[in-house]
Amino acid sequence: MSVEVTEQPPPASESGSDAPMLEIRNMTKTFGSVISLSDISTTVRAGKVTCVLGDNGAGKSTFIKILAGVHQPTKGELFMDGKPVLFHEPRDALDVGIATVYQDLAMVPLMAIWRNFFLGSEPRKGFWPLKRFDKEKAKKITREEMRDMGIDIRDPDQPVGTLSGGERQCVAIARAVHFGARLLILDEPTSALGVKQSGVVLKYILQARDKGLGVIFITHNPHHAYPVGDRFLLLKRGKSLGDFDKSDISLTELTGMMAGGAELEQLAHELEQEGDTETSAIGHEIAADIGTGTTS
Amino acid sequence: MTTTLERPPAQPQPDERVARVSLARRLLVKPEFGALVGVIVIFVFFSFESDVFRSMEGAANWLDGASTVGLMAIPISLLMIGGHFDLSAGVQVGTAGLATGIMTTYWGLNVYASMVVSLCLLLFIGFINGFLVTRTGLPSFIITLGMFLALQGINLGVTKQVTNTVQVSNLNLVPGYQALKDIFGSQISIGGHKFQIAILWWIIFTIIGSWLLTQTRFGNWIFASGGDPNASKNVGVPTSRTTITLFMLTSAMAWFVGNTQIIRFSTIQAQVGIGQELIYIVAAVIGGCLLTGGYGSVIGASLGALIFGMTQSGIVYANWNSDWFKTFVGAMLLLAVLANQFVRRLATQGRR
Amino acid sequence: MTSAPFRSIASRLRWGVPIVAAAVVASACSSANSVNVQHNKSGGGAGGYHYKIAMVTHGGAGDSFWSIVKAGGVQAGKDMGDDFTYQSNGDPTQQSQLIDAAVNQKPDGLIVSMANPEALKAAIQRAVAAGIPVVTINSGQAQSKAYGALSHFGSDETVAGQAVGTGLKQAGVKSVICVVQEAGNVALEQRCAGVKSTLGGTVTNLQVDNNNLPGAQSLIQAKLQADKSVDGVVTLGAQVASVAEAAIAGANSTAKLATFDLNADVAKAVQDGKILFAVDQQPYLQGYIAVVMLTQYKANLNVLGGGLPVLTGPNLITKANAAAVLKLAAAGTR
Repeated sequence: MSVEVTEQPPPASESGSDAPMLEIRNMTKTFGSVISLSDISTTVRAGKVTCVLGDNGAGKSTFIKILAGVHQPTKGELFMDGKPVLFHEPRDALDVGIATVYQDLAMVPLMAIWRNFFLGSEPRKGFWPLKRFDKEKAKKITREEMRDMGIDIRDPDQPVGTLSGGERQCVAIARAVHFGARLLILDEPTSALGVKQSGVVLKYILQARDKGLGVIFITHNPHHAYPVGDRFLLLKRGKSLGDFDKSDISLTELTGMMAGGAELEQLAHELEQEGDTETSAIGHEIAADIGTGTTS
Repeated sequence: MTTTLERPPAQPQPDERVARVSLARRLLVKPEFGALVGVIVIFVFFSFESDVFRSMEGAANWLDGASTVGLMAIPISLLMIGGHFDLSAGVQVGTAGLATGIMTTYWGLNVYASMVVSLCLLLFIGFINGFLVTRTGLPSFIITLGMFLALQGINLGVTKQVTNTVQVSNLNLVPGYQALKDIFGSQISIGGHKFQIAILWWIIFTIIGSWLLTQTRFGNWIFASGGDPNASKNVGVPTSRTTITLFMLTSAMAWFVGNTQIIRFSTIQAQVGIGQELIYIVAAVIGGCLLTGGYGSVIGASLGALIFGMTQSGIVYANWNSDWFKTFVGAMLLLAVLANQFVRRLATQGRR
Repeated sequence: MTSAPFRSIASRLRWGVPIVAAAVVASACSSANSVNVQHNKSGGGAGGYHYKIAMVTHGGAGDSFWSIVKAGGVQAGKDMGDDFTYQSNGDPTQQSQLIDAAVNQKPDGLIVSMANPEALKAAIQRAVAAGIPVVTINSGQAQSKAYGALSHFGSDETVAGQAVGTGLKQAGVKSVICVVQEAGNVALEQRCAGVKSTLGGTVTNLQVDNNNLPGAQSLIQAKLQADKSVDGVVTLGAQVASVAEAAIAGANSTAKLATFDLNADVAKAVQDGKILFAVDQQPYLQGYIAVVMLTQYKANLNVLGGGLPVLTGPNLITKANAAAVLKLAAAGTR
């Protein structure tokens, strides 16, 4: 499935700046004798989406953890706005405006939505030693943000665990955006979602982008990545297959590089040879996808 | 054939829907509620069996028993919500009282200074517990079990070494004792009946503990550290600092209870507190705290302690055979926990 | 995992150190505070027997009674110049294993207390078969000779109970609560049974926990409030006696209190008239005499008792002799 998008004109702020918001140069990470990432480079600009694509084992989660401050790169450098940076712990990354939305969502299922929303950044009022968690403010803001997202909550105190997968993702994204993230990193947000919910999430990615945030969108699904991405970094077994601008690559080329075009061609050929019509029809489709490069 | 993606319009419906959840439902779901039901049931039950139980004298008696468990149940419930156990909590009560007693009556230190030093000692023990748990990543059950055994031996060994007996006595003979007795060990008269002052302290600390848990940022961190420590760390919650603080709070309360005991009775023996640590945990569980952490209530834990105190005294007032005492207590506690679970399940059914 | 959280806690704790130091310095280490005398090991006699004597009892680790027995044994070891060791475990199986372990070390003498004689029979007979002289103390008087022990030093619990019952009867007591602080302890149950046999009134047992004395006080107080006809309380351990005293006062009861076993607080209370009397089986003496007898047996084949148990009690502490005993009790030898 693919979603077509009418392109919005690029926001004015982006065109003049020369230094990208985040630049990753020759990043390598080894754990003992295992080389998780090898010589990876890419950039992220404000108001643009950089997609990091790769199958399982490509090194995507290590990549995010380094950007989020959980690990430090063995070799290579990170630059924010042209200046070199090094994150020792998640707090450091948060402080410069990098917000990460993890696959497991970094949400505590038993806690209420409003508690999760402000976790780690709780608003306070009052004087020491009686500084209180400003619960009224927290609930109010949470309710507003949820309403803006079109999520119906009957009870503001309901635990996050009672929301559906897509709703939880949106809460997480809204949280990151609300707290003034400059750069949003999304770790496989659509992987566990159905078609409709994936569409909702992709919409929000675009909204975040339109607000001027930089977005890194990690996924293994090129059909989700292509409509929203401006830049594509492909990872395969820790190495970079290339860092492409959207104008330089098509969806089918992207898919082909990810899947290993040769294997798909062979599969299509085999299926076409099958006796029954249904299977060979599938083979035709795959051949069409990779062979002629049509857009549906 | 293009679909434009637009920001969905703001929907006014959620506002009206919020009011739909009835007050009754919201109350039932609170972790304390099941414990409150248990308190009422047990009170009614034993009141039928004995009129002394429901008299003021009786109340003073079971409140006294409840406060001993209740004071410690407060930090233990906070710690459990934060995802950890402290099996050395009972024995630390002994360490605190013995330390103050020995420093004053055998080494001649001023009694207030002894109390300050023993507080520092207990905070240090709490720090060690928390440090080991966060550093090694081993289950707190194991670490504090080790501490429990170590302190058990230390309490006895040091006492024997210094006093040649197994207790420390005669605190009432030191200068400054009377003022301390008034604060920690005296009785307040209500309607002509005497209530131990520890009961008042228990109520005060319950309020403070509950406020800390539900109204502060630190409380949010407690819920988060217990509910999902990895998620919490990833969003910047200082989980190690939270855990260590919770262990130190437990030790600080052990200091309070231990000193209260030696001041009230003017004597304390070396084996105090052993076996009590499980009772504190039971009180917290009755009060709605999940053993796995992330959910619970301080008020609930205090109600759980109240159930324990009422059960203990109630069995005696009802003149049941004393040999079966432990069986009765165990059965009542099981019933209380089941009742709590039943009520909570009733309330959460039918929700999405 | 960084050390940042620890640094932040340590920096907060740094405030505590000067405060504590100031508190300690500011307060005078005055002699007015040290109301108890520190007890270091006292000097011993010059005996040079050098025998290895092992004692294995069923006492709990923090039990005040058994700590006095041990003190007696330790002192006798010093006085005789013997090498004295003490082990204990309340569980009969584990006590039996401790006896075997002691026997493996080939001592010159073995002292055992038999709360559950059947469970210890095999281990004791193994000791006797290995040629080790065995003496029993405190419990198991009836089976002592049959198992091959040379002597028994102790006090018959039932006899002691009967003495208490008689004493209370003379004081006009009709209804008694017998407070059992250690559930399932045979000796304690025998004491209560003894009281019942001579009191001529009602005796109800009440279970409390020796490790939770405040709780024990609540329970005793509750019982007194629940049953106003109770006019006597018997406690089976010295530590519980003090607590019972407070419970009686708290319940505004006029019940009379008597106890087994002794410590400084009990002696003082007897002196003040708060406790009617205390029954002392002289645990220090049990420990002491056992070691002395074994030493003399090895040296001179002496045996005490003439085949009958040697009784160390019941010994009544009343108002008349409490004062003299008080100082000794404070030293941990009575």
